[in-house]
Amino acid sequence: MTVSPIIATDHLTRNFKSVRAVDGLTLAIAPGELFGLVGPDGTGKTTVLRLLAGLLSISEGAGTILGHDLRTQTEAIKPHIGYMAQQFSLYAELSVLENLHFFAELFDVSPRDLVGRTERLLAFAGLTEFKARRAAHLSGGMQKKLALACTLIHQPEILLLDEPTTGVDPISRREFWNILTELHIQGTNILVSTPYMDEADRCSRVGLMYAGKLIECDSPQHIRGQLAGDVIEVQPEDWQRALTALSGLPGVREVQTYGESLHLLVDAGQQRLPEVEAALREAGIGYRSVRLAPPRMEEAFISLMRKMEAA
Amino acid sequence: MRHIWAMTRKEFDHIFRDRGTLFLVLFTPTLVLLLMAYALTVDIQHVPIAVLDYDRSQTSLAFIQKITAGQDLDIYAYANSMDDINNLLMRGQIKAAVIIAPGFAADLQALRGLKMQVIIDGTEPNSGNFAVQHISQRAQEFIDAALAGQLRAAGIPLTSLQLPDVRVQTWFNPDLKSRNALIPGLISMVLGFPALSVALTLAHEREHGTLEQLLATPIRRAELLLGKIVPYIAVGLLNVVLIPILAIAWFRISFNGSFPLFFALSALFLFAVLSMGMIVGVFMRTQAAALALSFLVIFFPGFFLTGIFFPLASMPEEMRMESLMLPGTHYAIITRGLFLPGVGLDVLWPHVLALLGLGIVIGAFSLHFVRRALD
Repeated sequence: MTVSPIIATDHLTRNFKSVRAVDGLTLAIAPGELFGLVGPDGTGKTTVLRLLAGLLSISEGAGTILGHDLRTQTEAIKPHIGYMAQQFSLYAELSVLENLHFFAELFDVSPRDLVGRTERLLAFAGLTEFKARRAAHLSGGMQKKLALACTLIHQPEILLLDEPTTGVDPISRREFWNILTELHIQGTNILVSTPYMDEADRCSRVGLMYAGKLIECDSPQHIRGQLAGDVIEVQPEDWQRALTALSGLPGVREVQTYGESLHLLVDAGQQRLPEVEAALREAGIGYRSVRLAPPRMEEAFISLMRKMEAA
Repeated sequence: MRHIWAMTRKEFDHIFRDRGTLFLVLFTPTLVLLLMAYALTVDIQHVPIAVLDYDRSQTSLAFIQKITAGQDLDIYAYANSMDDINNLLMRGQIKAAVIIAPGFAADLQALRGLKMQVIIDGTEPNSGNFAVQHISQRAQEFIDAALAGQLRAAGIPLTSLQLPDVRVQTWFNPDLKSRNALIPGLISMVLGFPALSVALTLAHEREHGTLEQLLATPIRRAELLLGKIVPYIAVGLLNVVLIPILAIAWFRISFNGSFPLFFALSALFLFAVLSMGMIVGVFMRTQAAALALSFLVIFFPGFFLTGIFFPLASMPEEMRMESLMLPGTHYAIITRGLFLPGVGLDVLWPHVLALLGLGIVIGAFSLHFVRRALD
């Protein structure tokens, strides 16, 4: 038995003048997913979300949301989705509560439901004590939470969030994701785009986008698992020299830089670890630590990107 | 209806929360009109001139007195030489100089005409031309009087002369004050300011991404635009009431038409011009660009093409066509008609229809453009 997807696209394509921003995207999102759309900047994530929110017309292909056609029935779709644009800024001169009420009216929330719902959302987003404050005077993290509350005011079945945590401090980011996880558990379907791999790791399924195409679509575990071999993390004194010294070693498939440390993708970690240390000593490069590290989304992602770029 | 009201209330909140915005939005049209009415009055008075009298006769003195009687020309200096005149003109202290030739009185006596020269400062032709016109007219009167005196002395009745008898009557604006014609026309221009506000607020929504957010809600495009426009129509109408009060009480301009008609047609004009503002607002990605484009498509044509300063009749054919496609042109004709002659719909209906048609077309365009704002 198959469950019909809540979001389905079939070779969805969107052109801007000479640029093909989204190129033949085929995707099916089942009910109950927290789907992460990841990829480098300018790769078409925002365009996908705008297409799904009915803000852009489709150049080629087709798509449905909750069974409604994206080409012809955008107005029927809108009441069921909560869309949060990447650069969402609220009405700065309105208070927290007024912002919520404004969107409640646009989404036809009945006055009967309004009071209870706003109170719940304010509590949920931790904004109850700030409800009279003007949005302009909220911190960046609080503004994002208010924005999320505004997109939740009509209790949408689907949330489309475009890089909701970009430019937010790490603690607010974690809080925001705790809220998303909570919503996910309560049964809201979420499609979120993010440039952060740790966030991608918290999704139930991840789609990797590159140059307008979906190049990989799987659970985070599987994507990590695709990374055959192990990761060795090296913290050298001089990472540039270490990079040249370690790149050519046998068994080292790839070297990625992380600030001043290096992540080596190797075929067998236990075997290569002493070899790496020996190579560093031989080259006369000091190091603070060399250790086996668990592979993360980030390594898997960069590795996949490199393969795409090489192809 | 609920969507429109939500938009409208939000927009009112936006206007009222910030005192600077409130003041600017509410009173700019009236204030600008007040300023322009003072600055742009083109009635010329008290033009400074110099006189160089080589004749130094009683007749030349009488002539000088004649041209400087009244408010039009003032004698700034009596020059003794052409060098003096040269100096005065160079320093811009006089706009014109009258040089009376030797034998002025004798020539007049012999009916050989008046020998004199007028020099004007070409860097400011308006004052100079005005002085020439004024002096020529006075000179003609002077000759006529001398001629009449001699005819009488010769016993010839004046009636046998058959001079043209033109009697000019000025209707509607008997003092021929330019201000009386200017202020009603200027209303169409200053009501461009609410349109500028609309353009800026829409561009602001676009710049800050809230327009994208709005378009993702179930609000319809027409509801969005109507909700947005209503507060600014209200602001415009406030000025539509303030301006006639200012015009009547302060500038003593008579308003002879029907005020309810003026109010209704002003609302129609506001709809059309605010729709232009909306097109500007959804076209431009930033407020700065929207501001620049507003000046280009709302204010400059409003100034040059609506016939407020430059009569439609003096425009080349193609420009006149463009003028007639601007709501401001028709509205300026309507306001002038309502203020001075006090005409009604029986006369103004073609312009009312034009205004209505333009309003619908421009409104439809703005709806079309907002639909494609992000696409």
